[in-house]
Amino acid sequence: MIVEFFRPGNSLLHRLDPRPKLLFLVVVLIAFFVPSTTWVLLLFTAAIVAVVAFFLGPAQLLPPLKSLWPILLLIFLLTPPFHFGGQPIIRILGATLVTSEGLDTTLVMLLRFIGITFGFFAVVRTVALDDMVLSLRWFGLPYAACLVMTITLRTIPSLGAAWHNVMDAHRLRSGLVESRRRRIVETYLPVLTSVLIEAVKGIPVLAMALESRGFGRRNPRTSYAELKRGRALAADMLVLAAASAALLWPAFIRW
Amino acid sequence: MIDEKPAVSPAFRIASIAILAAVTTVLTRVVQIPLPARGYINLGDVAIVFTALTLGPFSAALAGGLGTALADLLSGPYAFWAPISLVVHGLQGLLIGLIAQMRPNNIVLQIAGGIVGMIVMAGGYLLAGVFLEGAGPALTEVPGNLIQGGVGVVLGILVGAAVSRAYPPVRQWKW
Repeated sequence: MIVEFFRPGNSLLHRLDPRPKLLFLVVVLIAFFVPSTTWVLLLFTAAIVAVVAFFLGPAQLLPPLKSLWPILLLIFLLTPPFHFGGQPIIRILGATLVTSEGLDTTLVMLLRFIGITFGFFAVVRTVALDDMVLSLRWFGLPYAACLVMTITLRTIPSLGAAWHNVMDAHRLRSGLVESRRRRIVETYLPVLTSVLIEAVKGIPVLAMALESRGFGRRNPRTSYAELKRGRALAADMLVLAAASAALLWPAFIRW
Repeated sequence: MIDEKPAVSPAFRIASIAILAAVTTVLTRVVQIPLPARGYINLGDVAIVFTALTLGPFSAALAGGLGTALADLLSGPYAFWAPISLVVHGLQGLLIGLIAQMRPNNIVLQIAGGIVGMIVMAGGYLLAGVFLEGAGPALTEVPGNLIQGGVGVVLGILVGAAVSRAYPPVRQWKW
């Protein structure tokens, strides 16, 4: 099972420190919810998509679009009927289907959705989850919470493998899965029970391991990995502060 | 006979949250069950209901919230749902656990807790969806979320009982 969505690389987006990138995500969210015009949102969305295409490659635009097109289609079809203001644009048999307000809101929703999706995509594609945990620790998340996240990330692959093994074992014994696909309870209950017993049996073992490794002591913890420091961090902060300023200027204009 | 529940150590709490968060992520990401009509549901809610009934409300809130948020982060295109899943599924697990804890082993309260959690989950995603996608698209997701939540309640209660019977020490781990 592939756990991470992160792909290693050497682009500028990869080289930037994860901490300013996480802060930049907050800025992206604010920028897409601050009142502005559709043209400004179009500019922001185009800029974010262009950054992804330029630094990660145009092929990287496909995975998010493949996953998102049903939602984008739903937004396109179902947003106009909820907005009645403005000039009628499409009328059928005397009933107004699309108004100018409906069309404008639909565009805003589509641009916001695409912009936020690609903003998050750019970050999760270029930041390893371990670095994300280190960044959250730097932002003040307690050690115990970061430890939980790290252990969870380490446990996911083995549990994923356990699920497939148990599923295969049940399949070999009875052919249950193929023949009765629609009977959810009958098919999945034995597999779920086996996997959950396997998982919960690991809890006391892991707890003992943590205690024997000194969990709960007050002495400072060490870390194998380190994030950037000093000038390198300051330079990255400056780059993303400039990008944040470019995204936030509409907040200071009265539209 | 000593009838007191053994104290749960901080290391044990860390271990239980981490492992059950991993279970939640795996059941959300790996397991996709085809529906008779169309589309898929995942079993993330089963893990949340199981955790709430077996290990209590706080484990369920933390493991359920973290597990589903990680599943969103690992999915890539849906990464921006991670903070919403953290809150919505965390609240779902907390409420199921708190309601079920009022009278332990009472099946009616377990079902009631599951239904409340299901409604909170579907409502939370509806609210977030209205902001992110608009009212129309957000409303279309409600039936799927309710089906997924319902399957989660049924399987979660059944699997909770099965695991407690097969591995009795788990009954002492609630906190």
